[in-house]
Amino acid sequence: MAAVPAVTDELLPLPVIGERRFVARLLGNQKFVLGMVIFLAIAGVALVGSLGVEPAERRTGAVPARQPPSAAAILGTTSLGQSVAVQWTQAVPNSLQVGLIAATIGTAVGAVIGLVSGYFGGIVDATLRVLIDVFLSVPSLLFLILIASLMRGVSVLGMALIIGIFAWAWPARAVRSQALSLKERPFVQVARLSGMGDTEIIGRELLPHMMAWLGANFLNAFIAAILAESGLSILGLGPQQEMTLGMMIYWALNYSAIFLNLWWWWLTPVVTLMALFLSLYLVHLGLDEVGNPRLRTQA
Amino acid sequence: MGASIGYLGERLITFVATVVISVTVVFFAPRLVPGDPLGAIFSNLASVGGASGISEELAQDYRERFGLDKSLGEQYLTYLGDLAQGDLGYSIPIYPTRVSTLIWNAVPWTVGLLGVTTLISWVLGSLLGALVGWSGGRSRLLQMLVPFALVLYTTPYFILALLLISLLTSYWPIFPLPGGAYSVGAEPGWTWSFIADVIQHGALPALSIILVSLGWWFLSMRSLIIAEQGQDHILWAEAKGLPQRRIFWAYAFRNALLPQTTGLALSIGNIVGGALITEVIFAYPGLGYLIYNSIRQSDFPVVQGSVLLLVVCTAAANLLLDLANPLIDPRIRAARA
Repeated sequence: MAAVPAVTDELLPLPVIGERRFVARLLGNQKFVLGMVIFLAIAGVALVGSLGVEPAERRTGAVPARQPPSAAAILGTTSLGQSVAVQWTQAVPNSLQVGLIAATIGTAVGAVIGLVSGYFGGIVDATLRVLIDVFLSVPSLLFLILIASLMRGVSVLGMALIIGIFAWAWPARAVRSQALSLKERPFVQVARLSGMGDTEIIGRELLPHMMAWLGANFLNAFIAAILAESGLSILGLGPQQEMTLGMMIYWALNYSAIFLNLWWWWLTPVVTLMALFLSLYLVHLGLDEVGNPRLRTQA
Repeated sequence: MGASIGYLGERLITFVATVVISVTVVFFAPRLVPGDPLGAIFSNLASVGGASGISEELAQDYRERFGLDKSLGEQYLTYLGDLAQGDLGYSIPIYPTRVSTLIWNAVPWTVGLLGVTTLISWVLGSLLGALVGWSGGRSRLLQMLVPFALVLYTTPYFILALLLISLLTSYWPIFPLPGGAYSVGAEPGWTWSFIADVIQHGALPALSIILVSLGWWFLSMRSLIIAEQGQDHILWAEAKGLPQRRIFWAYAFRNALLPQTTGLALSIGNIVGGALITEVIFAYPGLGYLIYNSIRQSDFPVVQGSVLLLVVCTAAANLLLDLANPLIDPRIRAARA
C-alpha cells in the first residue's frame, strides 16, 4: 500500500467497497446486525401490516374513540375513532420514503457539488464554497418552513423533495476537501497523463474512494430527513391528507392527547422514531468500525 | 482567492452572501408559486373573516405594497428599501398590526430561552466533558455519564419535550401546564413575583433544550480532550513538572476550546431550529410559536419576516463567533498578520 493518506476534515479515505470480506465482516459486527434487525423489523411489520388493512378501516370513526390498547385495537384508538395501529402501518412506510428520497437527493447532489468544487478549483470552487458555507450557517429548517408554508398541502413526495434539496451542504463540504487531497495523488496524475477526461477521472478515480463515506453520510441524512419531516409536520406543514410519524404526533398534539392521558396515541410515533434513530445509529457505528481500520482495533 | 483576502474577509463574504441570498429567496419564493401570490391568501381570508370591506382595502394596500403592476426589478428594489427601514409589512388576519410589532413581542422570549439554554448547556457540557475526558478510566462514576450523554444526543428535541411534558406536568404536576410565558392574569413588570412566574414557565422548555444539547457538547469536548492527552506539548508540560491543574486548564482545555467554539458556530442553525419546535410544543410565545400560528392562519408576511430575521441573526451569530476565533487561537491571528 502507498503512503497512508492524511486525515482531512471528518472524511477518512475508506477502502473501496465491493470486497466480499467487507460484507462478511459487517455481518460479524454486533452493532451493525442489531441495528439492521431493529430497522428491518419496524419496516417489515409496517409494510406487511399496511397490506392487510382494508380502506374502510382507515376512515375516521371506523372504531370506538379513545380506547386504550386491547385485543381488538392493539395500539388503542384516537379521539376521532381511528385505530393507532392502522395509522402506524401507513405512517412508517411514508416516513421511511421521505428519508430514503431526501437522503438520496442530498447525498447525490452533495457528492456532485463537492467533487466539482474540489476537482476544478479556481473561481468555480470559490463560488461553490461560499454557497456551501451559506447553506451550512443557515438553519435549513427555516427555509423548509418558508417553502412548505408557500406550497399549501404538500404530499409525502413533495415533502421528501423539499427536504432533499436542503440536505446537500454537509456531504458537499466533506467530499470537496477529500477531492482536494485526492486530485494531487500520483494515481490521479497518471490517469490524467494517460489521457482520461475530467468526467472520467472524477467518476472512475475519485468517486470510488468516497463510496464508503457517502454510505455513512446517507444514513445520517436519512435520520436527519425523518427528523425534519417530523419537525415540519409538528409545525403544521406536513402532508395533511396522508399519515407520517410526524403527522401522527401533530394530530395527537392537536387533540391534546397528552392531557387527556391518551398515552398510546402520542407515545406510539415517539417510540417508533426513537427506535428508528437508535437502529440507524447502530448501523452507522457498525459501518464505521468495519470500514475504518483505526476503530476496528477497539471493537 | 481565499489566501489573498484572509480569514476575516472570507467570513465577511460568507455573511454578506447569506444575507443577500436569504433576502432574495424570501422575496422571490412567493412569486415562484403558481398563480397570484395574493389570491390564495385573500380567498382564504374571505372564507375565514368575511369582512369584505376591510379585505378590499387590504387587497388594494397589498397590490400597491407588492407593486404587482411594476417590473420585478423595481419590486425587488422597493422591497430592499422597505427592509432597510425595518418595514416588514402588515399581518393579514389582524390587519392594521404591523409584522414588526408581532415579531418584537415574540423576540424577547426566544432570545431569553435560546440565550440561557445555549449558554448553560455549552458551558456545562464543555466542562463536564473535559473533566470526564481528562480523568479517563480513573473515575468510574464520571465514566457513567457517557452512555447518558449518548442517549440524550440521539434524542430529538421534540421527543424529549413531549416526554418531559407528560411526566412533569401531567403525571407529576411539578411544573405549570404548557402555554404562555407567564400565568394568565399576571401583571408583566420587573417584580420578583413576575420574574419567578416567568422562570417557572420557562424552566421546562429550557430543560428540554439544555438536556439535548448538553449531550452533544459533552461528547465532543470529551473526545477533544482525549485527543489532547499524549500530545507533545502536554508531555512537555508534564516533564517540566507543572501541576496537573495547570496542565489541564492552560494546555489541554484551552486548546480544545477552539474546535468547541467552531462547533458552536456550526450548530447554531440546528439549535435555533430545535428551539422553534420546542416553543411550539410548549406553546411558548416566542418566534417559533408565532411562526406556527401564522402558518395556521395563512399569515404569510409574518412567516416571511420571522424567517428572514432568524436567518440574519443566525448568520450574524456565526460571524461573531468566527470573529472571536482569533482571540482564542493565536495561530489565526498570526495567519492574518
